[in-house]
Amino acid sequence: METQEKEVKGSVQSAENPGLTAPADWQPVIIGILCNWCSYAGSDLTGTSRIQYPPNIRIIRVPCSSRVDPWFIIKSLQATADGVLISGCHPGDCHYIAGNYYARRRFLVIKNLLNFVGYHENRVQFSWVSAAEGAKFAQVVAKVTDDIKKLGPLHRYKKENF
Amino acid sequence: MNYTKQIQDIASKLFTEGKIDIFIGYQQNSFDDNQVPVLITDPAEIPKLVFSDKSVFNLTNYLKFEHTKNKRVGLVVKGCDSRSLNLLLTEKQVKRENLYVIGVCCEGVTDDNGAKAKNCEVCVMPDPVVYDEILGNPSGKKPYRVDPDVAEVAKMPLVERADYFEEIFQNCIRCNACRHSCPLCYCSKCCIDQETSTLYNGSNTVSSAVHALLTWSMHLAGRCVDCRNCEKACPSHLPLHLLHKQNEKVIFENFQEHLSGMIADDRGAFYKYNQKDPDDFIM
Repeated sequence: METQEKEVKGSVQSAENPGLTAPADWQPVIIGILCNWCSYAGSDLTGTSRIQYPPNIRIIRVPCSSRVDPWFIIKSLQATADGVLISGCHPGDCHYIAGNYYARRRFLVIKNLLNFVGYHENRVQFSWVSAAEGAKFAQVVAKVTDDIKKLGPLHRYKKENF
Repeated sequence: MNYTKQIQDIASKLFTEGKIDIFIGYQQNSFDDNQVPVLITDPAEIPKLVFSDKSVFNLTNYLKFEHTKNKRVGLVVKGCDSRSLNLLLTEKQVKRENLYVIGVCCEGVTDDNGAKAKNCEVCVMPDPVVYDEILGNPSGKKPYRVDPDVAEVAKMPLVERADYFEEIFQNCIRCNACRHSCPLCYCSKCCIDQETSTLYNGSNTVSSAVHALLTWSMHLAGRCVDCRNCEKACPSHLPLHLLHKQNEKVIFENFQEHLSGMIADDRGAFYKYNQKDPDDFIM
C-alpha cells in the first residue's frame, strides 16, 4: 500500500492529458535540431569545455535552421519525443546570409499552430546559440529539459508503427 | 447577384471570336438547387451556364489539371477566386495570355442552407483583383477581421482545445479531397503521398491525419485565400478553415504583410523577411 501511494504522489501528469501519468523517475526525450555552423559547434564547445548538461536531448545536425521543415517538428512529437528544441545562428550571423530570418517566420507560425491544436507552448522551443556560446547551450538545454519535465509525457497523436 | 445572361453572352462572344478553347463556369445541379462547375468546349453547351449567389466553388482549381493546363481558358472568378488566380500567376502556374478572366464583384455567396456563407462574413476583398472584364459595381477593400471561430477556439483552455481538435482529426478519413480541391495545391507529386515516405504510412491512424493536415496547412500558410473549397469538398465536414485562419491571423498580426494574393508578384509571407520580425519567443 505504501509504495502505491508513494508512486501516485510522485507521478508526473501530462499537461495535455491530465488523466495520464508517468512514474516519478520518468525522463523526457527531447529532440534537438541544431544548425551546423553555430549551434552544433556551440554544443561541441559545451562538450569540450566539460560543461554539464542534461542527457535528455538527442541532437540532429542540419545545414541551417531554415532547413527545418515543419514536418521535422510534427514527426518528432509523433514519434518518441516529448519536446523539441530548435537552435540556429543569431540573426545576422547566418552562414547563408538570411536563412534564419526566413526560418524565424515559419517557427512563429508552426509554434502558434501547434499550440492552437492542443500542444503546450513549451513543447516546441527555439533558441539562437552561436559557436562561442557553449555555456548558453548548456543553460538552454537545462531550461528546456526542466520545462518539459514539468509538462510530463506527451500522449497525443503518438504513432505506434513507423 | 445574377449574372447568368452576361456570362452566357461573353462566353459565346469568346467562342465565336476564337479566343478560347475551354470555358469554365457554373451549371445547375440536376438533383438540387446547388451549382456545380462545368467545363465547356462546345459553344452549343453555353445555355447551361449560370451564375448566382449559389456559385460557391473556386474555379481556378481547374487550371491545374492536365486537360486545361496549356489551353486557352475563359473562366469566371469572384473576389477570393481572383486572389488565388493572382497567386497562381505569381507562382508561374498559369500563363496570363492564355486566360480570359470574367471578374464578378461578389456580394457574398450562400451555403447549403441558404444563409450567407461564413467566409463571406470575414471577406476582405469582394472585388476581383485580376480580370479582363468586370461585372457589377466594385465595393472596395474591407478591413481585416479575425475569424470569429478561431477567436472562439483560441479562448478555450489547452486541454479542452486539444480534445476539441482530437475529435475533429478523428473524423478525417484521409481521402485528400481537401488537397485536390485546393487551387494552390498544384504539385503533381505531393509530399503527402510519396510512396517511400514513412511519414504518412498507415492511413488508419489519427496521427497520420494530424500530420497530413498540419503539414498541408503549413504549406498554405501565407497563401490561403479563404475560398473554402477544402471545406466544401470535405466529406466529413471538418472545419478546416480553423487551421488556415489561425495561420493567417498569426502572419497578419506579426509580419504586417498584405493578405495573400491581393497584389501581383507578392509570393506570400514565407518568401521574404524583415529584420524586425518578432524574436521574443526565441531564447
